[in-house]
Amino acid sequence: MGLAIATGLWLAYSGMIALCLGLERHYKQVWGRPPSSSRRRALRATGWLALAASFAASVAAWGWAMGPIGGLGLVSLAGLALVLVLPYQPRLAIGTAVAGWPVLALATLAG
Amino acid sequence: MKQKTITQSLSWLHTWSGLLFGWVLFAIFLTGTLAVFDKEIDNWLRPEIPAHSLDSREAAQTALDYLQARHPHARTWNIGLPNERAPTLSVSTGEQRRGGGQALDPETGELLQVRETAGGGFFFRFHFTLNLPRLLGIWVVGLAAMAMLAALVSGIVIHKKFFKEFFTFRPAKGQRSWLDAHNATGVLVLPFHLMITYTGLVIFYLIYMPAASDALFGGDREALNRALRGMPEQHAGQGRQPPQEVAGPAPLTALPPLLAEAERVLGPLASLSIHNPGRGDARIEVRPLLGNRIELTKGQSMVFDGVTGKVLRAPAESRPSLLTQRVLAGMHFAQFGGYPMRWLYFVCGLASCAMIATGLVLFTVKRRRRHDGEGALGAALYTGAERINVSVVAGLALACVGLLWANRLLPFELAQRGGWEVRVFFLIWLATLLHACLRPWLRAWQEQLGLTAALCLGLPLLNVVTVNRGDYIPLEVTILVIGGLLAACAWKIGQPAPERALRVRTEVN
Repeated sequence: MGLAIATGLWLAYSGMIALCLGLERHYKQVWGRPPSSSRRRALRATGWLALAASFAASVAAWGWAMGPIGGLGLVSLAGLALVLVLPYQPRLAIGTAVAGWPVLALATLAG
Repeated sequence: MKQKTITQSLSWLHTWSGLLFGWVLFAIFLTGTLAVFDKEIDNWLRPEIPAHSLDSREAAQTALDYLQARHPHARTWNIGLPNERAPTLSVSTGEQRRGGGQALDPETGELLQVRETAGGGFFFRFHFTLNLPRLLGIWVVGLAAMAMLAALVSGIVIHKKFFKEFFTFRPAKGQRSWLDAHNATGVLVLPFHLMITYTGLVIFYLIYMPAASDALFGGDREALNRALRGMPEQHAGQGRQPPQEVAGPAPLTALPPLLAEAERVLGPLASLSIHNPGRGDARIEVRPLLGNRIELTKGQSMVFDGVTGKVLRAPAESRPSLLTQRVLAGMHFAQFGGYPMRWLYFVCGLASCAMIATGLVLFTVKRRRRHDGEGALGAALYTGAERINVSVVAGLALACVGLLWANRLLPFELAQRGGWEVRVFFLIWLATLLHACLRPWLRAWQEQLGLTAALCLGLPLLNVVTVNRGDYIPLEVTILVIGGLLAACAWKIGQPAPERALRVRTEVN
């Protein structure tokens, strides 16, 4: 259960980052130049996919009744965390999402 | 006067109802957030209760042995079982009262001397009654919840760039930053805000909307409850019937297999009552722990024959109408989904508090610059709002942690000790209002947040110095983190921001 929730949280965070970078203002904020329109579309599609996967992970963790509640909570908190870190440490906000995946993979293998 | 647009009207509503009800709502949300961990806080407030590793069946047997030895003639024995969240094993005799009973040492089976305390339940009760008389409090809180719903909806409408500024937060830009923070905490956690406010209203639907029950049942709550549960008449008021004839003595059935069966049907158990123990008409009523499912299963139970151990009444399945209400109520109570869900609710609750607090601050920040033009009354109002903001936001936090300090510092033997803890809570809160009125407002924010931070950071130390027992690492780590964040806030306020310092000087003087 713990692992499914952690996966759900990380998917939610990664998804929110992708959606955030899909907005021109924030892409510029991080990379200093505007995104091409195809990249923007790809980022948004990835973001929505990740959020859907996060929802699935929540359902796997809590079941169909409680999963949606937990899933929305995870997405909310992931978004809030991102918004708070982004203006101070934009690269760190993204690096955290990337670095989280190998950690999660290791935890899966160990567990 | 020119006709206002809908956005302007809603903006006016959002601003003023947000300010007036925001003060109450902050208190409701902060204590509600704390109430998510009411049992854990309660454990901290009762350090005399030892941790143990007994399962509920062993604990029930310990309690039963005690009751059989000490209260052989009582008509009813009640046993509160320990669970994952709370190690308390409690016993009482006679009619079951909520939260009553004396704590037993699960290892020795003897009574424990536990300090009298308002307990973690204080935050829970304050959350929905504001410590007013129960019914009045429920009405006030309900009114505030309606205002919250109105503020949420109007907030969505007047937010000009809902999606464009979805991820926007621009710190250190004065009013802009406060608005960004208010929007971000509002928009990103919006599902939670809406859900928790709406479901909060649904809990007391019978109090807020009594028309149907008055019309159909003449206001008879018992009759309504029976109809809602689809219960046949004779099952109502189990255990309250007068004894028709005294049944002869008969030994009580063994508890463990009975509890095992109850656990199989109900999930983890919360408590049991044994009516007429030692007699032929003995009944054993077993209640489940809340939170095996979303539905709030308060009042659900399973009844066994106390001699044969046979099931007399299985738990009733709720009818769809009742189930709907109970699932909504259960979503508010957050007893389901285990600790991960509890943490989600806690952090989302903190986000709600942050949204309300930033909204309150935004009101005054916006007006600091331009209330000169609005006359003496306007100036007095904004200065007053500023003071109340300090006392409601920082002062209430101080009062909450102050209650924890009072729990350790008040003398153990003090009569009405629990009542004194509550009095300390309110005295501190009142003192913060006085303090906020007497000090320059920025200093008042800084000093009250700073003191709250200090009390949070010192809490683990206080525990070591005064009682030095108990294992509260999760609670203590959490409170250290909160203390650290508050200390950072207090420090930040002390830093002179050039534009802000200038603005303060021109306005306060």
